[in-house]
Amino acid sequence: MTETTSGELPVVRSTSRLIPGNIREYGMYIALFAIMAVFAFTTDGIFISSRNIVNLINQTGYIAVLAVGMTLVIVIRHIDLSVGYLSGFLGAIAAISMTSWNYPVYAAIPLVLGLGVLAGLLTGFLVAEMKIPAFVATLAGWLGYRGALQLSTRATGTIIIPDETFNAIGNGFVPDISHASFLPDMHLLTLILGLVGIGIFVLTEALGRRALRDYPSERSPLARWILKLVLISTLVAAVTWILAGYQGLSWTAVVVLIVMLVYQFITSRTVLGRHIYAVGGNPEAAELSGISVKRITYAVFGSMGLLSALSGILFAARLRSATTTAGQLFELDAIAAAFVGGVSAAGGVGKVAGSLIGAFVMTSLSSGMNLMGLDISYQYIVRASVLALAVIFDVATRNRE
Amino acid sequence: MRHIKKSFGAVQALRGVDLVLHKNEVLGLVGDNAAGKSTLMKVLSGAYVPDEGSIMIEGEPAAFSSPMDARRQGIEMVYQDYALANNLDVASNVFLGREAVRTAIGPISIMDKRFMEQESKALLNRLKIDIASVRLKVERLSGGQRQAVAIARATAFDAKVIIMDEPTAALSVAAIAKVLDLVSKLKDQGASIIIISHRLEDIYQVSDRLIVLRQGRKVTDTVVEGDIHQFRERVVAYMVGARNDFAEGGIS
Repeated sequence: MTETTSGELPVVRSTSRLIPGNIREYGMYIALFAIMAVFAFTTDGIFISSRNIVNLINQTGYIAVLAVGMTLVIVIRHIDLSVGYLSGFLGAIAAISMTSWNYPVYAAIPLVLGLGVLAGLLTGFLVAEMKIPAFVATLAGWLGYRGALQLSTRATGTIIIPDETFNAIGNGFVPDISHASFLPDMHLLTLILGLVGIGIFVLTEALGRRALRDYPSERSPLARWILKLVLISTLVAAVTWILAGYQGLSWTAVVVLIVMLVYQFITSRTVLGRHIYAVGGNPEAAELSGISVKRITYAVFGSMGLLSALSGILFAARLRSATTTAGQLFELDAIAAAFVGGVSAAGGVGKVAGSLIGAFVMTSLSSGMNLMGLDISYQYIVRASVLALAVIFDVATRNRE
Repeated sequence: MRHIKKSFGAVQALRGVDLVLHKNEVLGLVGDNAAGKSTLMKVLSGAYVPDEGSIMIEGEPAAFSSPMDARRQGIEMVYQDYALANNLDVASNVFLGREAVRTAIGPISIMDKRFMEQESKALLNRLKIDIASVRLKVERLSGGQRQAVAIARATAFDAKVIIMDEPTAALSVAAIAKVLDLVSKLKDQGASIIIISHRLEDIYQVSDRLIVLRQGRKVTDTVVEGDIHQFRERVVAYMVGARNDFAEGGIS
């Protein structure tokens, strides 16, 4: 980097401001918008039909929660290849606990989530204490959990889950409040939640902008800020409208939203979140500042394990069964979603909301191309191009700073 | 610090060094490569535990097992590579590892960002550090500004002693002047500072006293005086081993 005296800084900054520093973030929303618009057109509107959007959300759910966890793993400069089969294996455990051990659903879910945390801590142990590179440690996990999944489903093959409460997590919808006389065909609760969501979003954005009064240099131009507000609000409103016209909000969507909000809060507001990013940015400096890199590694892999379990539950519930190949390639979808969502492989950079959008971009592509009847081989190539483009865009915008 | 010894395998990095730092004093520490200056400072800042010797702060014996330990007792180190997280903003770096907490729910502590930003801003103003906003990410700052942030962080929590390892090594001439200015300002505000440098003119400009190390031993402990040329000649003589104030037999 070239040396600039502080006197020159304002000049440097005003030129770099021409290229918005957070263009990545906007780029993501614009990309998702564009993809939806293109598919809406090429599939004669089927893509944005209520049924398809609901499917899309429920299909993205089990990848999205993995992508959220993977974001933090990549932020601290690691990777986790074991999450796919871990998710599949834990889904099978959930099925077995309900069918063979006769666990009620409210015992099966905590059991599986707990096992997920344990599995994550085991990975954390290998990486933090034994200093095994995460790639190798989790490759071992990938093999091990694959074996465990096959063992647990060998006797019975596919395990059908009869519990309707459990299956509702992957297929069910939030019940509506009493039907009102107006908009009789709409899911009222979904509409209200959507409106409240937009309201809270606009309010926090406005408060955040007001808090920046003292930092005019950090404020994005008003026009662009309004554009962002309109874009995101429209997206939420459109999705809400589409969902409300069908059966409303699915339980999967609720789970994903809660996970997203919790992780968003942890990463942006808590000491733990800041330490995670500090470890990703400069582990030596973090350690010198009294941050235990080990503890952060345990926490991040523990959370990854928890979310793997959640992913397994969502997937098993969606299929109403545990299968021998559950979780296959989930890890790569989650990693791709994180990179498309703006997580940097160099560590320290990436937001959970970005990865969530990244997951939606990737499943939207699959879903849209499926509806168009595009050959699966071409689908892989298109998705590869999107992944590569996203990372090229990322590197290019970063180098410009 | 009294009679500090430290070895790494067969290599004796420090062979019994005494170092006294007075209140409100800038002490220069020089020596050739492998003279032991960095090792000595790592002992003082808690990164290394000495094999022998003791450390006293204001007459009280002190022992550190980690840099955090030393920081809690008022000894701060500014590392040569700044030890900043470039992906975080200025305020986050100033408070890194010592975040102000608003509420704690079990292991989850919610930060008081507003307080940390205001404090960081006040700190930068007090030290007259020219950075447009404490919300700027460190990766967008110049080398001189990064050094200034590293120094500001060291002073944020009422440090008694600030150790600076080669604070001017990687900087432009203009940035060096600013950093030296900052050192003088810290001294005016009552801090005690140890400054390691290869650049003798920088040491000359800001230090009150100078210690030269050679091969793990102290070879001189002297007041900085005279004009720069004499000073430089004298120091170099100690560094290369031509002079030694503490040698047995005393070749002085």
